[in-house]
Amino acid sequence: MAVRPRYVFSEAWSVARSSPRQTIAAIALIAVALYVPGLLALLSRNLGRLAVSEAGDAPSVVVTLQPETDARALATRLAQDGRIRTVRIVGSEAALARFRRAYPDIGAALSDLKEAPFPPSLEVILKPSAARGTAIEIAGTARQWQGVESAESEEEFARRFRDAVRLVRSAGLFLGAVLTLAAILSVASAVRLALDLHREEVGIMRLMGATEGAIRAPFWLYATAEGLIGGSLALGLLYGTFRLAAHWLSRNPHPVLAIFWTSFLSAPTALILPAAGAAAGLAGSLLSLGRKHARQATRIA
Amino acid sequence: MIELYGVSKKYGQFREALYDVSFRIASGEFVFLTGPSGAGKSTLLRLLFLEEEPTEGQILVNGRNIGVLPDSQVPYLRRTMGVVFQDFKLIARKTIFENISFVQNVLGLARAEQKRRAYHVLKRVGLQHQMNAFPDELSGGEQQRVAIARAIVNEPTLLLADEPTGNLDPVLSEEIMRLFVEINIRGTTVLVATHDLELIRRMGKRTLTLERGRLHDPDRPREIAPIVREAPFLPVS
Repeated sequence: MAVRPRYVFSEAWSVARSSPRQTIAAIALIAVALYVPGLLALLSRNLGRLAVSEAGDAPSVVVTLQPETDARALATRLAQDGRIRTVRIVGSEAALARFRRAYPDIGAALSDLKEAPFPPSLEVILKPSAARGTAIEIAGTARQWQGVESAESEEEFARRFRDAVRLVRSAGLFLGAVLTLAAILSVASAVRLALDLHREEVGIMRLMGATEGAIRAPFWLYATAEGLIGGSLALGLLYGTFRLAAHWLSRNPHPVLAIFWTSFLSAPTALILPAAGAAAGLAGSLLSLGRKHARQATRIA
Repeated sequence: MIELYGVSKKYGQFREALYDVSFRIASGEFVFLTGPSGAGKSTLLRLLFLEEEPTEGQILVNGRNIGVLPDSQVPYLRRTMGVVFQDFKLIARKTIFENISFVQNVLGLARAEQKRRAYHVLKRVGLQHQMNAFPDELSGGEQQRVAIARAIVNEPTLLLADEPTGNLDPVLSEEIMRLFVEINIRGTTVLVATHDLELIRRMGKRTLTLERGRLHDPDRPREIAPIVREAPFLPVS
């Protein structure tokens, strides 16, 4: 037989009011538990943007040209190498436009310059089958050519950078897992405490013929709502942090710090926080309420 | 209505709360269960409303062996019973109306109908004017009357009371007993556990006496019924 939703909501509210300190503590812990991995996700997202260029793949070799060099001719020459997949020509204006898009706050500071601050360059993308060390070899060859200012292999840097991003992500996941476990245990103890406060009532409800669903549903809802609020709070805090950092950086431009605060999480990623909070809350309540035991009026688990 | 066949209840290996208890209570009967403290009265009631299970023997309520009821069906059986306790067991944070209409509220019965039923039962116990009061605002006697109203709001076929007058003075005890008799007259089977022999004497009803877990009752069934395995109770609407 279905339990009336209004009853479940009113009882869940009553459970929350019966132990406000524990409820607030559990919400706060969930918020912190999800804020930390959320922050790392935000940082790794912004770092990751550097690993993948706007056009798609990160270049393995960047060949910086002298201003008067015929970029197209050099690009054609490079493209003849069978190990190269693509050669991208990035003109001075295009490089500046790209920089402004990536770092709007810092980019604005460059608008007063009379000449383009970025020289033209060629971005070389290797085929996936290219052997390790190919980029170094191509860069070494290109350096000998006329009109080439410099040629740098990005292969090693790109590899280290990807490793660093992966490390940040892994740390986020690990911390997230540990803190979420702590949040689940916190919710479980909050539910257990609320249950202790309502133990006599639960016994009376059982005697009056309340089903297990009717008894447990308010606790499930209470814990899930607790998690949802905690997750939403984490998201709000994270967005607040992002806005604060962006605001600070707009007044105090910093070339390195700006990298980490360029864009916020995408909507689907951001919504993971409240969803994870709700899931943690529900898991905590399930952990706390234990298995079904309908007979004894004085026990719930 | 109620049939017990060789019912025993042990706690641990040595503590025997009930031993080989057998009796029958017919539908519509009013029966007292008495005996000194620790005789097993409360244990017997707990077995009847399935708070506990017997170690041995069978208990039949309305011809159904309640020992084979699955856990999921226990609430539905309990809705056919009303239980009254010495300590009233009212929910302090709920009003009298909410205490009484709890099950109907859970099941989504219209609020107007809940109020109608609550008013009706509270009128029977003379507390219709206290619908919105909280248990703490009532006297002991009034709280017990509320507990009785709650027990009968679902129109149970069986009313169990465990020392319902234990916390009340003789005048209030008399009043509560009159209510039980009234409920019984309307067709509900009533089983009241009490050690108040004077009250039992005044009421002049059938009495089952327990002593150290053993029943002193002349109408013990001669044959032990076979194990009855019937369909579980259907949900009560």
